[in-house]
Amino acid sequence: MRAFRRRRGLYVARLDDDERGVIAALVADVVELLGGGRIDEESADDPVSATRDGSPRLQLEPVPPPSDPAVRRLLPDASRDDPEVSAEFRRLTEDDIRAGKIARLSRLWTALTTPSEGQRADAFAIEPSDAKDVAAALTDVRLVLAERLDIRTDGEAERLYDLLLTSPTAELEEPVSDGLDPATRRYLVAVYGALSWLQESLVEALLTDLRASGGGHDTPPGRPPAGERPPSG
Amino acid sequence: MHARPYSWPVPVETLPDRSVEAQDATVVADPWVTIVWNDPVNLMSYVTYVFESYFGFPRAKAERLMRQVHEQGRAVVSTGSLEAMEVDVQAMHEFGLWATLQRSGQ
Repeated sequence: MRAFRRRRGLYVARLDDDERGVIAALVADVVELLGGGRIDEESADDPVSATRDGSPRLQLEPVPPPSDPAVRRLLPDASRDDPEVSAEFRRLTEDDIRAGKIARLSRLWTALTTPSEGQRADAFAIEPSDAKDVAAALTDVRLVLAERLDIRTDGEAERLYDLLLTSPTAELEEPVSDGLDPATRRYLVAVYGALSWLQESLVEALLTDLRASGGGHDTPPGRPPAGERPPSG
Repeated sequence: MHARPYSWPVPVETLPDRSVEAQDATVVADPWVTIVWNDPVNLMSYVTYVFESYFGFPRAKAERLMRQVHEQGRAVVSTGSLEAMEVDVQAMHEFGLWATLQRSGQ
């Protein structure tokens, strides 16, 4: 694995087949958690068209909060103390946020499982216009991994990185309250560390280019530019 | 939020931009605010990127707000009508940041 670098107008990392397979499987798991079905089964319907036909939707029924804490982290409450505000926000936005996340995770999955053309075999090249969506999709995968690994505080995240630095193959001596067996936990910790490192390199490249271009006011990931959206509310 | 993935150099800190803070004091009349909360997953660079790219904040303001989230646990990142804050909170959730809205002054 090698971090992202700017190369001939693209952001290019190096991921071998095993690394791509590991990341793609996690991406597929997060798509399934979000209700997008299994994208890695050939018989599966296209998850994007299945959940989003492109037409504006008006959700009239209340949308209950997700029961899985990992999904709830991806689709959090919009208010800490006002259930009515949270409920109204979910009704208005959750279908769109969910569909947007599924769509960009699915695009990342396709990119990971499609051999690179005109590049070396392990080159993983991203168009700058797609980089924001890739960074956001990596965030969603890391949020789910962190929830499964029971990472709740900055200190726990720091200890995990320190452990990876100092003894990457040692037993993790964290109190195991997440129900994972030690081998699985060690594997997920290593993947979490690698994804963090990969995302950091991509975001540094994005920030450098954003600042060089004179700053932002972008649309958020997966959203069409302002003016193309149906009015909300 | 944590400072770095392993093996990544710690970024150089910049001084807070006092003039930006003074400007913020003039917009407290807006009825609602969007708050971004600290979490242990999102990278400091990514949060800064979101603040610069989505809100169009200059680098100094984006980094000051990112540090406020990291060190104080939360920061107000925008103010305005309920509808405008719903748009901003939706955008933050799309980016994977943990954001809420509430009435200003609470």
